[in-house]
Amino acid sequence: MSAVSVEFQSVGKRFGNRGVLAAVSGTLQRGRVLVVAGPNGAGKSTLLNILAGLLRPSRGEVVYREGDSPLPRAHWFERLGMAAPDMSVYEELSALENLRFFARLRGLHLDSQAMQGLLEELGLASKEQSRAVGTYSSGMKQRVKLAQAVLHEPAVLLLDEPSSNLDESGHAVVAGLVARFRERAAVAVATNDPREMAWADARIDLAL
Amino acid sequence: MRASTLLSESVAVLGKELTSELRSRVALNAVGLFGLTTLIAVAYQIGPYRIQEQDRPHLLAALLWVILFFAATSGLSRVFVKEEDARTAKTLRLAARPLAVLAGKFLFNLILLSALYAFIVPLYCALMGYSVQGIASLALLLACGAVALSATSTMVAAIIARASGSTTLFAILSVPLVLPLLVMLIQGTRAAAGSTAIAAVLPALRGIVSLGGATLIISVYLFPVVWHD
Repeated sequence: MSAVSVEFQSVGKRFGNRGVLAAVSGTLQRGRVLVVAGPNGAGKSTLLNILAGLLRPSRGEVVYREGDSPLPRAHWFERLGMAAPDMSVYEELSALENLRFFARLRGLHLDSQAMQGLLEELGLASKEQSRAVGTYSSGMKQRVKLAQAVLHEPAVLLLDEPSSNLDESGHAVVAGLVARFRERAAVAVATNDPREMAWADARIDLAL
Repeated sequence: MRASTLLSESVAVLGKELTSELRSRVALNAVGLFGLTTLIAVAYQIGPYRIQEQDRPHLLAALLWVILFFAATSGLSRVFVKEEDARTAKTLRLAARPLAVLAGKFLFNLILLSALYAFIVPLYCALMGYSVQGIASLALLLACGAVALSATSTMVAAIIARASGSTTLFAILSVPLVLPLLVMLIQGTRAAAGSTAIAAVLPALRGIVSLGGATLIISVYLFPVVWHD
C-alpha cells in the first residue's frame, strides 16, 4: 500500500459565533511527526478531529492522498488510527474482547496471540487483559485506547494527549510507539507536554 | 480497501451489543421492569372483569400495545445515547461503516423487543383473560410490528443521540412515526382476537409492512448523514 499524506489548507472552525480554530495549514506525511501545541482551548483537539474527518471545517479543506491520488473521504477511516481523551473503548468488554471487536470491524484476521502481544507491548500484562475494561485504572484504559488506535497498522495516526493518565513507563511506551509509527505512517500528536513536543519533526503552535 | 463485509461488521456490532447488554442488563432491566409494572398495574386496576363485554376487543388490544410500546421506549431509546455517554461513539464511528452500525443496533433492538413480547404478551393474555382466536395472525402481527417499531426506534434514537440524548425528544420525534403504526397494530390485534383467518389481519399487516419498510429504506439513506455530521 502506498504512503498516505494529509494536506490541510487554511482550515478553520467556528461553533456558532465562537471561533475555535483560525486558518491553519500544514501537511502530515510518513517519516515525520507533526506536533500540534498550544494552550487549553486553542483548538488542538478540534484540528485533529477535522484531520480525522470527524468534524467538518467551517473553512479550508483537508485532502488525503495515497501516492499521488486523492483519497475519497469514505476511505479515510480505513487508513486512520486515533486515540483521544474523548474516545473510549467498551467498559463491559475486556481489553482482548475490545481488540477482537475492532479487528472484526476492520476485517483483520488477527489471532489472540497477536492482540495479546500488542497489549503487552503497550504495557498491559497478560493477566489483566481478560478483565473488564471498566475495572481498569485510567492509565490502563489509556493503553487499551492506544492499542485500538494502532491495531490495524494505520497509515495515518492521530494522537491527542497520548500520555495523559500514564506514568513514566507509560510515557516511554508511547514514545516507542510514536518512534515505530514515524517510519510507516503520517503521525500527528496534539499535546502540551514538553516531553511529547520533543518528538516533533514539524510543529504547529496554536494560540487562543 | 476494506477487508470486512457489511454483514460481518453488522454481526460484530450486534455481538458487541448483546455481550454488553448481558453484562450490564441496563436495557433489559428497564424494559422488563417497566413492562411488568405497567402490566400489573393495569391488571390490578382493570383486570379481566371490569370491562364491558362489547368494549373488550377494542380496549384489550389497545391496552396491550400501550404497555408494549411504553416498555419498549424505556430501553430502545438508549441504544445510541449510551455510545455518546460512554464516549465510544467516536471510536465506533472510525472503525465501522454507518450501515453496519445501523444494522447491528436495529437487530439488537429487534431482539430486545422480541424478548419483551415473549415475556409480556402471554402474561397479559393470562392476567387480562384475553383470548385470541387467531394465534398465527397475532404472531405475524407481533413479528411485523417488532420490525417496524425497531426500525423507527433505532433511527429516532440515532437522531436524539446526536442532539444530546434527550429521551423527551425521543418521545416527541416518535409520535408521528409511531402513532399510525400503533393504530394499525391495535386494529390488527383486535381482528386477530376475533378471527382465526389470516385474511382478517391483512389490511393492518399491509400498512405495518409498508410503514416499517419505508422507515427502513429512509433510515439506510438518512443514517450515514446523522451518524457522521
